[in-house]
Amino acid sequence: MDNSIVISTPPHVKSKRTTRSIMLDVCFALAPAAIAGCVFFGWQALLIILMSVFACVATEFVYFFIANKGFSNKCRDAKAVCLRWTKQFDFTSVVTGIILALILPTTDKWYQVFYEVIFGAIFAIAVVKMLFGGTGKNLVNPAAAGRVFMFLSFSITTVVAANFEAISDSSLVFTDATNLSGLLTYGTGNNPTSYISPLDLFLGTGIMGSIGETCKLAILIGYVYLCIRGVIKWWQPLLFLAVLGFTAVLLAGFTFDKYTFDMSLFLPSILSGGVMFGAVFMLPDYVTSPKGVWGQLLYYVAAAVLCALLRHFTKTEVISFVVLLMNLVTPLIDKYLIRKPFGYKKVKKQKEGK
Amino acid sequence: MKAVKGKFYFGGIHPRGNKELSKDCPLEVMPLPEEVAVSCSQSLGKPASPIVETGQTVKCGELIAKAEGEVSSDVFASVSGTVTAVKELTAANGATEKFIFIKSDGKDEKAFLPPLTEPDAEAIKARVRDCGIVGLGGAGFPSAVKLAPKTPVDTLIVNGAECEAYLTCDHRLMLERTDEIVRGARYAAKALGVTNIIIGIEANKPDCIKLFEPYENIKVVILAKKYPIGGEKQLIYSATGRKIGLGKLPADCGVIVHNVATCFAVCEAVEQGKPLYERIVTVSGKAVKQPKNLWVRVGTSVQSIVDYCGGEVTEQIIEKDLQTVKIDVKNKTETSENLVTEKSTVKKVVRGGPMTGIALASYDAYTHKTTSGILLLNKSEAAAEEPTPCLNCGKCADVCPMHLMPMNTAFYSAAGDFDAAAKYGNTAYCIECGACEYICPAKRPLIQAIRKTKAYLRNKK
Repeated sequence: MDNSIVISTPPHVKSKRTTRSIMLDVCFALAPAAIAGCVFFGWQALLIILMSVFACVATEFVYFFIANKGFSNKCRDAKAVCLRWTKQFDFTSVVTGIILALILPTTDKWYQVFYEVIFGAIFAIAVVKMLFGGTGKNLVNPAAAGRVFMFLSFSITTVVAANFEAISDSSLVFTDATNLSGLLTYGTGNNPTSYISPLDLFLGTGIMGSIGETCKLAILIGYVYLCIRGVIKWWQPLLFLAVLGFTAVLLAGFTFDKYTFDMSLFLPSILSGGVMFGAVFMLPDYVTSPKGVWGQLLYYVAAAVLCALLRHFTKTEVISFVVLLMNLVTPLIDKYLIRKPFGYKKVKKQKEGK
Repeated sequence: MKAVKGKFYFGGIHPRGNKELSKDCPLEVMPLPEEVAVSCSQSLGKPASPIVETGQTVKCGELIAKAEGEVSSDVFASVSGTVTAVKELTAANGATEKFIFIKSDGKDEKAFLPPLTEPDAEAIKARVRDCGIVGLGGAGFPSAVKLAPKTPVDTLIVNGAECEAYLTCDHRLMLERTDEIVRGARYAAKALGVTNIIIGIEANKPDCIKLFEPYENIKVVILAKKYPIGGEKQLIYSATGRKIGLGKLPADCGVIVHNVATCFAVCEAVEQGKPLYERIVTVSGKAVKQPKNLWVRVGTSVQSIVDYCGGEVTEQIIEKDLQTVKIDVKNKTETSENLVTEKSTVKKVVRGGPMTGIALASYDAYTHKTTSGILLLNKSEAAAEEPTPCLNCGKCADVCPMHLMPMNTAFYSAAGDFDAAAKYGNTAYCIECGACEYICPAKRPLIQAIRKTKAYLRNKK
């Protein structure tokens, strides 16, 4: 025995899973959606994705560099800081970058998106993530926050408003087309009677939308991969989508004089827009979703109802806003839904902690 | 009786078992050690007080330290010979313990109690107490106390789960001493006055399950293959469906749990009058040359056990900077001493199981009644990564067998707010199984945080 043996508290064996491998898995899961986006929207989409990832990683690096005083006089220090950065690099910023790019719309003015995504990435990483303490400490999903930041800040807004929800759920069939005039100049849904089939929505053919959100098949592949690798729980996106679909169907049924219940709206409402992408890649984000099982149940149901309500009344795609709003509620859920220990009975609690 | 499946239990992990290292090694009696150092703190509760003096000759199985109070157990000489010293030392877990050093005379003379013929309940209880039997599963709770529960019980569960990775001592015992275990369990049941005996065996030991099925009046429950299904509360729930309330004992819901090794010890104590001075220790890990399941006397030094098992696995480090000699790994004759240096691959030495055992700083430690394994882990097995920031992934809560929130404990205790740590993490009920830290992708030291919080709660009382 030499002196290199380690002493620590148990357990002495641990799983091989690390933060880095989980985040790499998320990157792999995002790959089908990214590829589908590139196939549908061409090299601009690829450029936007690359630019977004680069901007995110660069922002993180620069922030880390400054925060660790890499700008001192000695060159050696800078090298050490860079080394430390590579050591702690865990691909979270890559994931943020890919997601941020995939929820961006494609427009004719793609060069605008191209530089605007840099600002979005800087906001997402520097302000939302690093200012709060880096990995694991951010209050809201950086990608969603970056998306909303761009949505509110740039001229892209108008384009986005139309593009953002390529197909809105119930509104497509039941509401006045003027609400969606922007939308309907794209894709096949030129008038409300020409119904886009769920298959088109599923494959993303013939509809406009965000880069990664159109092809639901690709998202499904990512979902299956994440479930197999144990990154997310299989029931989380399903619960969200099921509740969302039912709520949308219920809401769409309300008209002034009569009530109709039409389940044929179920599929279009969950297949349209970005809800599926959000359900698989944004809502289950570890950092900003509740930790306990009951908290998670509440979180997904509440998110679904909120999303359906907002979609119904605003007629725009709102998944990023829903993600942000639910993220803000998460600490409250965590605080008030404490898990009951095994064997807990509803008697007066023992005063062990007091 | 035909084996039935245990009830599904939420939580738990599926660690790499690594049991194949030692599970086919038959039980082997380790040769007598030259010297043993028997600790007086062999069980939960108060340590025993020594009744021998330096220079005194003792026989194997002779009482050398008397139990103090109710929750304590007698300690026996594990070899025959002369007491060379009675002194206090710092034990591997950091506490100061009294050790009795006995130098073996090599004769191994035995001094057993008279065997019990036709034992009744009181006689069995007295015998279990007099033989110093403790729970051999790891916690070391005196068995005599368990055999005299304060509330009426109706079921005895024999714990053959052995859910800890690496360890195979109970597995081998169940395979080779099935009959004794059953007899011991029947003695224990008689002492408790119950007829309902359940044996819980983890699903990864189908050979054991088959062996226990033919016995009459013993219900075999196949437990799910996960850790920690052998934990008391988890085992009772899985085998009987009863939940133990928080801060309650198994006896409160009418169940008493004994480990298979404990049952075996009870059998030997009753039929042969043999005090508990030896036990089976699994020597395993990828850094030990020959993994074994050994009968080891209590107080044997870890060094002698490792030596008996062939020592450490070493790797050759070949230095390339020497000029003239050609390096030929296959044909060692070509290489000179200077070229190849042997380096030990041991990264961690663990006494006990990999999930709950104690990491030893050196081989200068001694086995206890509760030592179920000596593990020499190499670099790829031993977890020694730097922790990264918590992701709030919630995996620790998902696997917690007590359904707690370890991440909250870690978060608040790191900030020094132990009251909040105990409140939001329910730390007081933690069984310290280590499942949370095993699964943590950020490698956070959760058990450390939990122990810190628990220590705070204890001091506050």
